[in-house]
Amino acid sequence: MDDRVIIRFNHVTKQYDNDLPVLDDVSFEMERGKFYTLLGPSGCGKTTILRLIAGFIEPTKGDIYFHGKRMNNVPANKRQVNTVFQDYALFPHLNVFENVAFGLRIKKIGKEDIERKVKEALRFVNLEGYEQRAIHEMSGGQRQRVAIARAIVNEPDVLLLDEPLSALDLKLRTEMQYELRELQRRLGITFIFVTHDQEEALAMSDEIFVLNKGKIEQRGTPKDIYDEPVNRFVADFIGESNIITGTMIDDFVVEFANQQFACIDRGFAKNERVDIVIRPEDLELTTVERGKLRVRVDSVLFRGVHYELCCYDTYGNEWLVHSTKKADIGEEIGLHFEPEAIHVMKRSGGE
Amino acid sequence: METPMYQSNHRKIALGLSLIPGFGQLYNRQYVKGISFFILAASFLIVFKDLLNMGWWGIFTLGEVVGRDHSIFLLVEGILAVIISVFGLGFYAFNLRDAYKNGQKRDLGLKISSLREQYRALVDNGFPYLMISPGFILLVFVVIFPIIFVVLLAFTNYDLYHSPPAKLVDWVGFQNFIDLVKLDLWRKTFINVLAWTIVWTFGATTLQIALGIFLAIIVNQKDLKGKAIIRTIFILPWAVPAFVTILVFSGMFNESFGVINKTILAAFGIKPLEWMTDPFWTKVALILIQTWLGFPFVFAMTTGVLQAIPNELYEAATVDGASSWQKFTKITLPLVLYATAPILITQYTFNFNNFNIIYLFNGGGPAVSGQNAGATDILISWIYRLTMTSAQYSKAAAITLLLSLVVVSVALWQFRRTKSFKEEDMM
Repeated sequence: MDDRVIIRFNHVTKQYDNDLPVLDDVSFEMERGKFYTLLGPSGCGKTTILRLIAGFIEPTKGDIYFHGKRMNNVPANKRQVNTVFQDYALFPHLNVFENVAFGLRIKKIGKEDIERKVKEALRFVNLEGYEQRAIHEMSGGQRQRVAIARAIVNEPDVLLLDEPLSALDLKLRTEMQYELRELQRRLGITFIFVTHDQEEALAMSDEIFVLNKGKIEQRGTPKDIYDEPVNRFVADFIGESNIITGTMIDDFVVEFANQQFACIDRGFAKNERVDIVIRPEDLELTTVERGKLRVRVDSVLFRGVHYELCCYDTYGNEWLVHSTKKADIGEEIGLHFEPEAIHVMKRSGGE
Repeated sequence: METPMYQSNHRKIALGLSLIPGFGQLYNRQYVKGISFFILAASFLIVFKDLLNMGWWGIFTLGEVVGRDHSIFLLVEGILAVIISVFGLGFYAFNLRDAYKNGQKRDLGLKISSLREQYRALVDNGFPYLMISPGFILLVFVVIFPIIFVVLLAFTNYDLYHSPPAKLVDWVGFQNFIDLVKLDLWRKTFINVLAWTIVWTFGATTLQIALGIFLAIIVNQKDLKGKAIIRTIFILPWAVPAFVTILVFSGMFNESFGVINKTILAAFGIKPLEWMTDPFWTKVALILIQTWLGFPFVFAMTTGVLQAIPNELYEAATVDGASSWQKFTKITLPLVLYATAPILITQYTFNFNNFNIIYLFNGGGPAVSGQNAGATDILISWIYRLTMTSAQYSKAAAITLLLSLVVVSVALWQFRRTKSFKEEDMM
């Protein structure tokens, strides 16, 4: 067994009563010292995984291993895991110092040790000098940091973060993304971060698990997931994309919108129906003559860094284009793209 | 505007003329205002001249001739005179200020507002004051007036032996307070009643709070079935009017016929207890009844607070390895007390003055020799007894003052802690 692996899920299923399983036969490994993100829409089971790791709930089937040891039914406080809760779960009646010291006091650690460790944890999250503040005197971002300090003061091997940034405003959220990433590097422990915000996931993670309906759809680095989504769900969930159906005529040749295009994908059966993804930023505005696709502009939004154009081709396919050039509504334009921009995926069930 | 350049001396002349209300305004060429001020002041003097004259004389002397002067009526008139004088002086001050301000405006070469503009300004800026003034004036006579009356009464010798019209009442300074401490009968009664009031307040209230919180926490357990029904049952004592409950209990605790002695204690083979005649058992019964009456409120409130505590707090504590007991003492209890403390304090002040139960259960009895209060009389019911049965009005007033001191300071302290005085959220 690879000793870098810190958490291993072996065919874990979690089911409440006789409902559909929240988590359906999931297996994965996580390595120490990495920043993992569990990404998915609400109800996809990401929080369930977190709570299984934390020990708040037990799997219905399957085993969970920490450092290669089976951890089912080990109580939460005996696992080298700590949690930063979504709403921080700070104790409103205690000040910052006592909030951070709570766990240490429970463990009956000596007074000087507590003082030292709490100070250190607060220094880690840049909250020195705030020891005596009451929680309600702290801003959202500061509370967030207190919550993190409270978790890391116990020196866990794994830190679980349950959508910790969702209550913050956009600017603070971006700031905290940097800080969390930085903190993870300094501490060198495993972070498991749950979010439904794909931008957050892409920005922070070493590795992303995209979950849907209790299953892991895809795992990989942010770049892999963004560039090579394995199916329609992942492509749709990560970033904005144009997903249309097409036919794989041959290796490196795909047909959609009644035209054949060169691509770099292979290994599909001849004439297999496939899903095509082209990211909006890979589409380039050009004249009708020079474009590979001929579309009519339906609406234009100014997004700051670029314009977002919504266009339709003659077959009714919608094309979202991100461009620094502007086009007028109703105008006929051409779209150009490179063969590398086309990403072909196996069709996933449904539709 | 530090050193305004005055071009004339209108402000001083207006101020001086205003010593007779209205004249300053007339000088400022505000004729309608000036005339109405003058008429107001004149009618004030004509209408209240006698009352003020009589009142001010009365409040100082409390009457000089037995038979002609009724001291208590004079005292009442005196207080009225004081209140009316305050209103009158307020108006007078306003008149002076108005004349001076408008004179100042003229000195600075500014235009004086017309009657219409003044009316506008009054309606715009003075609207809230205009609206509350009827209520405020009513409040002065309904609330402040009796308070002043009681305060003043505490410094007289008004009792059975100094009752008009046969006798006059006199000012005696702090004699009533001195008597409470110096005279044996009063000192003994005062100390005993005060001691029982404190025991009663803390015993009954703490018990009802403890029971309320305890039950709320028990009923709030996750896996308990039928919470709604249980909660409804626990709220029931609150739904029955307190005086009905007390009277029913008073019957149940009856020594010879009551169900408690006859049936319940008998079933356990315990001899009948003297619930109504033994001071100790009466006190026990009172505290038990008050616990019964008071716990549902605390129960309901605590239940609300408990449900507002996020489950994540307990999970966070679980991660830190806290036991159930530690979670209770370090999270649940502090949070409940933290959120309910202000209201719990009102429970204490409520019981401190809980006249109903003392009076209805056993009339403050049983009687005790060597003191003029019953064994279960608390301060408030003792005051009632002094006023209604022994006609010790001035002593009762003095004790009322002492009692108010406690209640008012607690109330003030508590109000200071609530959000009306500071803008902060707690949770």
